[in-house]
Amino acid sequence: MNQPITPASTPQLNLPASGLTALRPVDAWHLAPWIIALAFYFLVPPGFHTLGTNVLVMILFTLSLDLALGFAGIITLGHAAFFGVGAYAAGVMVSKLTPDPIMGLLLATALAGVLGALTGMLILHTQGVAMFMLTLAIASIFYEVANQWRSVTGGDDGLTVPRPAALLAYFGFEGFRFDFAGKTAYLYALSVLFVWFLIAWRIVKSPFGRSLDGIRQNPRRMRAIGTPVWWRLVAMYGISCAMAGSAGALQAHAIRLVGLKSLELELSGIVAVMLVLGGERRLYGAFLGAAFYVLVHDWAAAINPFYWMFVVGALLVAVVLFLDGGLMGLLDRIAALFGRKKSGEEQASGDAK
Amino acid sequence: MRRILAAVVGAAMLAGTTLASAEVVKVGIIAEFSGPFAVWGTQFRQAIEAFQKVNGKTIDGHEVQFVYRDVGGADPAKSRALAEELILRERVKFIGGFALTPNALAVAEIITEAKIPTVIFNAATSIITRKSPYYVRTSMTVQQYIDPLPTWAATEGKMKSAYVLVSDYAPGHDAEEIFINNFEKAGGKIVGKARIPLNVTDFAPYIERAGGSGAEAVYIFMPAGAPSISIIREFAKRGLKDKGIKLLAGGEVQEVFLPAIGDDVVGTISSMHYTETNTYPENIALRKTLMEMFGANAVPDIGSVGAWDGTKLIYDAIKAHGPRITGDQFVAFAKGRKWDSPRGPIMIDAQERDIVQQVYLRRVEKRDGKLVNIDFFKSGMVRDPWKIANPNAK
Amino acid sequence: MLIFTILLDGIAYGMVLFIISVGLTVTMGLMRVVNLAHGAFAMLGGYLASVMIRHYGIPYVPAAFLAAIACGALGGVAELTIYRPLYRKGELAQVLLTFGLIFISIAAMTLIFGPRPIDESMPKWLEGLVDVGFRTYPTYRLFLIGVGAALALALWFIIERSLFGARLRAAVDDPGMARAVGINVNLLFTLTFVGGCALAGFGGAIGAGILPIDPFYALRYLVLFLVVVVIGGLGSFRGSLAAALAVGIIETAGKYLVPQLGSFLLWIIVFGLLLWRPNGLLPAKTAS
Repeated sequence: MNQPITPASTPQLNLPASGLTALRPVDAWHLAPWIIALAFYFLVPPGFHTLGTNVLVMILFTLSLDLALGFAGIITLGHAAFFGVGAYAAGVMVSKLTPDPIMGLLLATALAGVLGALTGMLILHTQGVAMFMLTLAIASIFYEVANQWRSVTGGDDGLTVPRPAALLAYFGFEGFRFDFAGKTAYLYALSVLFVWFLIAWRIVKSPFGRSLDGIRQNPRRMRAIGTPVWWRLVAMYGISCAMAGSAGALQAHAIRLVGLKSLELELSGIVAVMLVLGGERRLYGAFLGAAFYVLVHDWAAAINPFYWMFVVGALLVAVVLFLDGGLMGLLDRIAALFGRKKSGEEQASGDAK
Repeated sequence: MRRILAAVVGAAMLAGTTLASAEVVKVGIIAEFSGPFAVWGTQFRQAIEAFQKVNGKTIDGHEVQFVYRDVGGADPAKSRALAEELILRERVKFIGGFALTPNALAVAEIITEAKIPTVIFNAATSIITRKSPYYVRTSMTVQQYIDPLPTWAATEGKMKSAYVLVSDYAPGHDAEEIFINNFEKAGGKIVGKARIPLNVTDFAPYIERAGGSGAEAVYIFMPAGAPSISIIREFAKRGLKDKGIKLLAGGEVQEVFLPAIGDDVVGTISSMHYTETNTYPENIALRKTLMEMFGANAVPDIGSVGAWDGTKLIYDAIKAHGPRITGDQFVAFAKGRKWDSPRGPIMIDAQERDIVQQVYLRRVEKRDGKLVNIDFFKSGMVRDPWKIANPNAK
Repeated sequence: MLIFTILLDGIAYGMVLFIISVGLTVTMGLMRVVNLAHGAFAMLGGYLASVMIRHYGIPYVPAAFLAAIACGALGGVAELTIYRPLYRKGELAQVLLTFGLIFISIAAMTLIFGPRPIDESMPKWLEGLVDVGFRTYPTYRLFLIGVGAALALALWFIIERSLFGARLRAAVDDPGMARAVGINVNLLFTLTFVGGCALAGFGGAIGAGILPIDPFYALRYLVLFLVVVVIGGLGSFRGSLAAALAVGIIETAGKYLVPQLGSFLLWIIVFGLLLWRPNGLLPAKTAS
């Protein structure tokens, strides 16, 4: 069992990790998701912005998992723990400390990051099944704490969050009040997602990010060449947890209610589903996966919830068995088809064949 | 060409006017259609469909349309998001449903802001209706339907001592409070109690301790489902039943759950605001319609009755005020209203917008090979005891 | 006396966990597949046995065996079609696919049997109480202890003493070498998977008195089964017995002695044990 179980489909060290090399800022298509997101804001009728915010929050959460699970290879089934910590922290901040959403967001992020790094220090010595059971155990303990600590969390009734102050009110600008239709919350979530995306981008392109790529594929070799494997994993895990905490805080501010569901195994599972659906180690995979999942869920669950469970189950089986690389992988293949027709033109995808 | 166009436009306008006069009134239902509590959503929906079959889908030509949304479990954040979606996207005039208190509480602020009346079909924590002036409840409160049970047990039931086992969540704590208060007030003695975490799977230790406490009765309160079935079976299998210890319960022994528990459950005494075997004409109609529509195994439960009466209240209000009824008109209409429910006579409290009703004590018996509850005691009209004890709590 | 009651209750509970989880530990150790859907086979066993007993009048014990056979057969089909492609994929893919199978099982069972727990179907001879010297004790729990012990013995014999067992252990320890010395590892995988699923189905059927059968069974008890497997050590038959009994006894003792700890207890144990011995209590010997 000391042998780390490396998936056979993982590219070897000498190949470029798919996606990374192709993510060039100059490519115009990088603007596409952001243009779509802005267009969504202006074009959809009222009542859809909260759905949009939900998509953005889930994208951020999925992106955080991509850093830990995709890039660093930390198998976690307990990422909801940090989403929940962020959500509860942000909620409590608004009601007890300051109504300023940005302060709340920063503190919730920091708290989730610190808790992530601390628990990471304990569990990142282990590997494989033991590691994911430990993440599960931690998430369960967090859940129990929230469940028992009713005076702060509201227990199973959930924590009702007062409406935060207007965005930027701290700087004397009252223009962005949180409105009933959730339009401000949408822009707020979009901005936070954008900032985090740039950070994530920077990280995976950095030598630090590259070293984690190496650690994921062969920790022993990385250790042998002098990489402080454990510290790097802890650092990446901490960042990922901080990001998950941000996502939770956004949800707390936007929906203004935090429930125990935000700490449950189910949410950890769903976020993993969104990641694999979109494609791991692709950053944009999180966008596709989360958007696809949330929108299809919104549509299918309204028709018949049990039918929806069939759909998710079948979708998972199909993606794992037939769609390596998720939706991003599918895009790659489509792009590759075009590439052959219009040879010479450089493709945006990371298909290295 | 021009004439054809004019004809088309004219037809379209005609259609437009007919549409305008026959309006669609949308009612959003937020409930648990998937997950461990899916039974509730199913029961709500079947009762609504049964009600519409009996009373029609239109009122004075206006269609009443139900829009169902699945909240999937105790998920207040999702409940809130669904309420927002129903109000903004579906433009519903009413919201109904809610099996679980957290989901019901979650929409308080939204329905107040949007002035959307919200009818609670089940969620039973007392405080809910005080959280928004637009809540009306057609189900029960935990303390209301437990109220007569401990008093009866300690007096006419001749049980001198009791052991109290409740699930460790808010409704469980409510139940524990009223049972202990009323039991001691009536002269009984509580010899022990325990709060059981919701995720416990093996109940042997709790039943063992209760059995060894010397209590003459054991009271349980748990969310009905796999856990409550386990604990009642364990009660019998540990020999507590044979020792003559009485089992007191509530929603855990509704008729729908009895076959899953098996014959062990015979003799269990419970209090509830609705007994499936009662002979009120409304109940007979409900049972018959459910069976016609959904097969012989369709048995109504408290969820069915809450949904049936909630739907009736909405229908009656639309009948009285037309399809453009406002939230405030609805609430004014509901306050103090009385009608005959499948459970017997009920009333909506004019101040609290909460239900006032009779509570029945029943015993599980086997009749014609079927496990059923049989009434043996009927209380007067009961107001929510918690609200009486806490007149100003918000 | 309390201590004996705790032991009896804990062992009975642990035996149910053992019967259901032992198949999972062997398949996870042997095939390195994180099979979250294992509980679905146990659930199916429970449903099938109940249908056979109530609708076809088959007695309790034969019904449990028939349910086990049916689950084993279905497990064989699943191994050949769905699980085999998984062996080459990463743990994440395995976790997700088997999570997907759980979802499908929930939807399917709800569709067929409805959302409520199924009707109980325990025979009369298991209902009563037996005098065990210092007290009377439920027959059903003694039955569970007896069946669990018998199964453990039988499994011990198969795994430690038979040729099949020797091959199995060889393949768990070093699949490459096992293949090299001519063991048909693929066949071994299929047979083991069939056996594991059959055990799960059997455990689901006879354990229904403690773990009631409803569509959410596989999800509700998933973590419990995983805990037993991981604490015991993947692929370790003795480990899973030890872990199942330990979880059963410690949880039961906790409920008797420190009820206010509630559901923290299990997780604190899991956390501590895994940090102390990440490979489980009694890990299988694995070539590194």
